[in-house]
Amino acid sequence: MDRTEPQDELYQKATREYGTVLARMAYAYEADPDLRRDLSQEMHLALWRSLGKFNGRCSLRTWIYRVAHNVATSHVVRQARSKQITPAFLTLEEAEPQAGHENAEISADRNQSLDHLFALIQRLDPLDRQVIMAYLEDLDAQSISEITGLSTENVWSKIHRIKNLLIRRFPRGGHHAL
Amino acid sequence: MPCDELPDNLQILWKEAGMNPSTLSLDQVRNETKRLQARRRRGQVVLGACMLLFAASYGFSYFLFPDTLARVGGALTVIVCGYWLFHSIMERAPAAPHPGETDGLSFYRAELEHTRDIHRWLSWRWLLLLGPFILFDVGVGQIYAKVWPLIVLFVCFDCALLLAVFAIWLPVKNFRLARKYQELIDALDAASGRGKVHREHQAPLA
Repeated sequence: MDRTEPQDELYQKATREYGTVLARMAYAYEADPDLRRDLSQEMHLALWRSLGKFNGRCSLRTWIYRVAHNVATSHVVRQARSKQITPAFLTLEEAEPQAGHENAEISADRNQSLDHLFALIQRLDPLDRQVIMAYLEDLDAQSISEITGLSTENVWSKIHRIKNLLIRRFPRGGHHAL
Repeated sequence: MPCDELPDNLQILWKEAGMNPSTLSLDQVRNETKRLQARRRRGQVVLGACMLLFAASYGFSYFLFPDTLARVGGALTVIVCGYWLFHSIMERAPAAPHPGETDGLSFYRAELEHTRDIHRWLSWRWLLLLGPFILFDVGVGQIYAKVWPLIVLFVCFDCALLLAVFAIWLPVKNFRLARKYQELIDALDAASGRGKVHREHQAPLA
């Protein structure tokens, strides 16, 4: 293609480096496969459009995460609005396993564990989803703070609670071979 | 500083999740963007056309029914439809925060506020349609009452139904939803400790 604007180059770089991250995000925000495909496409289109305004005041990674999360958040709220319901999200405390409830374990069945993890994330508040996903993507607290707008202290507090939640939900996580 | 003490296997599992990245070529992105914009425009045109058709049918009834109440009801319905249409056109593109320049918290709050405002706007505007509809019904009932007395029962039933839907069900539902969204906003503010200081990032409220 002859025309390669900075916006196009940035988009190509973004999809090359963060394509799988975007795919995971779409999966974690939307359980329905058809809607997920739409969401994923929406993320890509919004990303390409937004990159025309990218001014380098934050890193490209932060920009991509923000766009993807914000588009997904908008999708979640819009879905609830179209169904004329208020979104019913779980807080991190509510997501804690109850006594007698079965926990998902990281077992030989990786797909099952992943399904449990995605199902858990899909029920959380969008902001908690952003933190938990960024945490799983191994982003540092400062980056998560930049993406979410939460203070670093708040991010650390959430990470602490998320860690506890994940450890309780996936109790044998550190001991089973994957 | 990277987050330490991560449940290692879980993170590996997450990162190795066999997601096929959906890749779009630049041409596809451009075409899809155009298609999306065209679809949005088409949706607005269809909505506007439906409203106009609805208003036109009531406008036409002015000439069809020689009763003052029916005519007043029809004319008021047209006016209310015009008001709704005007509002939907004026509000069709609220200045949503830019997804790349706005952090997740501000963006989420703006989305919740926007949705709350839609429900808040709708909560009592349904009542505007109730009066014209009832006037129209009663007017039409008056015209045909001598020819077909049973129409009185039909008009009464219709008015009761209109009352239930436009004065109770829809306003209460939208009012409740608006309140629920306000609760979500309050909970978000309490959890983030940021309150309303970030309103400058948000879309203007309705």
